[in-house]
Amino acid sequence: MITSALPGASGELAAESRWAVETYGLTKRFGANIAVNGVELLVPRGSAFGYLGPNGAGKTTLIRVLLGLTRADAGTMSLLGYPVPRHRDAALARVGAIVDEPRFHPHLTGRQNLRLLAAAREPAARDRIGPALERVGLARRGDDRVSEYSMGMRQRLGVAACLLADPELLLLDEPMNGLDPAGMAEMRELILSMVAEGRTVVLSSHLLDEIERTCDAVAIVDHGSIIRQGPIAELLAGAQLALEVECSEPGRARGLLAGTTLGARVEAVPSALGLDMTLPAGAGRDVIAEINRVLVDGGISIYRLQPVQTSLESWFLQVTTRLGDPQ
Amino acid sequence: MTTMPVSGVPAPARGSRPAPAGHSRDRRGSPVPAAGMIATKIMELRKRRGLMITLIVLDIGFPAVFYLIRLLGHAFAPRANPSAGSGQIFTFFAAGFLPTFGFIVAATVGCTAGSRDLTEGMFRHLVVTGRSRLALYLARIPAGLAIVASLVAIGYAIVCAVSVFAAPTFIDYNNVNIPPGLSRAEFGNWARDHAEPVVCSLPYSGQVPANLPCPLPWSKSAVTPSQPASAKLEALAVKIASQDYPGYTAIFRSPPDSLMIEAGLWIELEAIVTFTVGLGLASLMGQRTIPVILLFVFQIIVTPILSAVDIPTCRTCSARSSGWPWHAWNHPGCR
Repeated sequence: MITSALPGASGELAAESRWAVETYGLTKRFGANIAVNGVELLVPRGSAFGYLGPNGAGKTTLIRVLLGLTRADAGTMSLLGYPVPRHRDAALARVGAIVDEPRFHPHLTGRQNLRLLAAAREPAARDRIGPALERVGLARRGDDRVSEYSMGMRQRLGVAACLLADPELLLLDEPMNGLDPAGMAEMRELILSMVAEGRTVVLSSHLLDEIERTCDAVAIVDHGSIIRQGPIAELLAGAQLALEVECSEPGRARGLLAGTTLGARVEAVPSALGLDMTLPAGAGRDVIAEINRVLVDGGISIYRLQPVQTSLESWFLQVTTRLGDPQ
Repeated sequence: MTTMPVSGVPAPARGSRPAPAGHSRDRRGSPVPAAGMIATKIMELRKRRGLMITLIVLDIGFPAVFYLIRLLGHAFAPRANPSAGSGQIFTFFAAGFLPTFGFIVAATVGCTAGSRDLTEGMFRHLVVTGRSRLALYLARIPAGLAIVASLVAIGYAIVCAVSVFAAPTFIDYNNVNIPPGLSRAEFGNWARDHAEPVVCSLPYSGQVPANLPCPLPWSKSAVTPSQPASAKLEALAVKIASQDYPGYTAIFRSPPDSLMIEAGLWIELEAIVTFTVGLGLASLMGQRTIPVILLFVFQIIVTPILSAVDIPTCRTCSARSSGWPWHAWNHPGCR
């Protein structure tokens, strides 16, 4: 049962809320399947926030619950400080959203579809149709039928539909789907420009690279639950560090390391040119220097020693691999 | 379920954006649809060109072409082709054609208006505006009705206009010219004055005297001056006229205004009910095809069965009248 007893429930406090999206214990079940499992999500205002997870992780379901397209079974939530679903109309007045693939009436033009949507919003929304089309690069094709649009154009029309609300919060579900590399770059620029204006963008995606390029903070979701959330830089700082070592006698080098105190902390596997090492989370430069000293003292020639910056993708795989571990 | 600790609260916002000045609380939670929603919904339906052209051809084009052919035929060969308008043709359209095609128009538009937002994926865009779902549904009703009622009304207006303005100015029956628009008494008087052609040419199911001078020379010509006739012949002519009067009115008279208004309202009512049922069914089922099929099955199979049910209070007229006004018009006793 949903309750709406969040702080900041009143309209006056809503504008002062620090969070664009807050959920506490949000749960949605489809029979025995739990699509959203006790999600506690805090999205700061004015940020680009990635909601990252594999297919079937429950990303779209969470967005549908937030927007009132489907009911939650438990938990509380608020958008822009307005508890929903109690103040859903007030909250959604300032929210733009793309859910699933953006689909429109194919027999209407892009502009006519936007007129249809603007009519359901405040009167000022109608004046935003032209600028919205302009902004997403559809001004010249705005009077073409949507049936003639490519997938990328429909995605952009979806963003234009979001802009009709002059939104403070945009919830974009897989906005890069179906886009070619150029289209993805344009969409990324568009999202970043909206964030630069102070809007909050929640980007749901399974494309780790896009999330890493676009977002400040991220929540990782799997099987309906959030397993990590926070600023990407902080999260990656807590990830394991990889080290590529190009050296002579890799086998002996591995043995040397195993014979020291480093052996328990460093995992080393032979590679074509030397060793690939995985350092523990939080390992600093001193650990790298210690490895170098041990190998040089042992008579190993070091040709190259390079730390590899952990990407969101490798970190994501680390996290999800651990999740899959029965331990 | 494996859970992992949350690493920390996300970074603070870069800079919160103040709420735009134009964002005032509107009444989007209200179930009453805004005028703009209705207007754009009309546009959405109207722009379905294939559907609209089909329905216009069906409900307006067919009577228009039918009457055009009759008007041209009568204009070029008035003796061979009767006038385009007449009570009989009006009855054909008002009692049979227009209700049937109005039903098709209403069912199709209703099911389209009720389902296409869902099937074309537009409904969720509308819902996330925060507008009340009820308002989104209700906006479809006046929008669809504006189209259905207009199409039905235009088709019916054509029928009425032709029935009135192209009504016959004379009636030629077996070469007997009869003036149109006579009341029962006037028709009787006219028959008395034209006793011999009436007796010899108009249909009569009773006994006719054997010594009538038929065929008479004037029966092959147009209206002739009154001929001297016996009182017996005049009485018989009045009797024949009385018997033929319902047929005369049905065939020759242009429909009265009250009937046209009443019939038009019945046709519109049927279309409105059909549209509303179609809209509701399609909204519930989220598709167009099955509700359309259900409505047609109802109209073709169930409605005739229900119509055949004998309602005691209407028993007197049930054989001839189903409650439609033109039956009462043709059968004044049932009014």
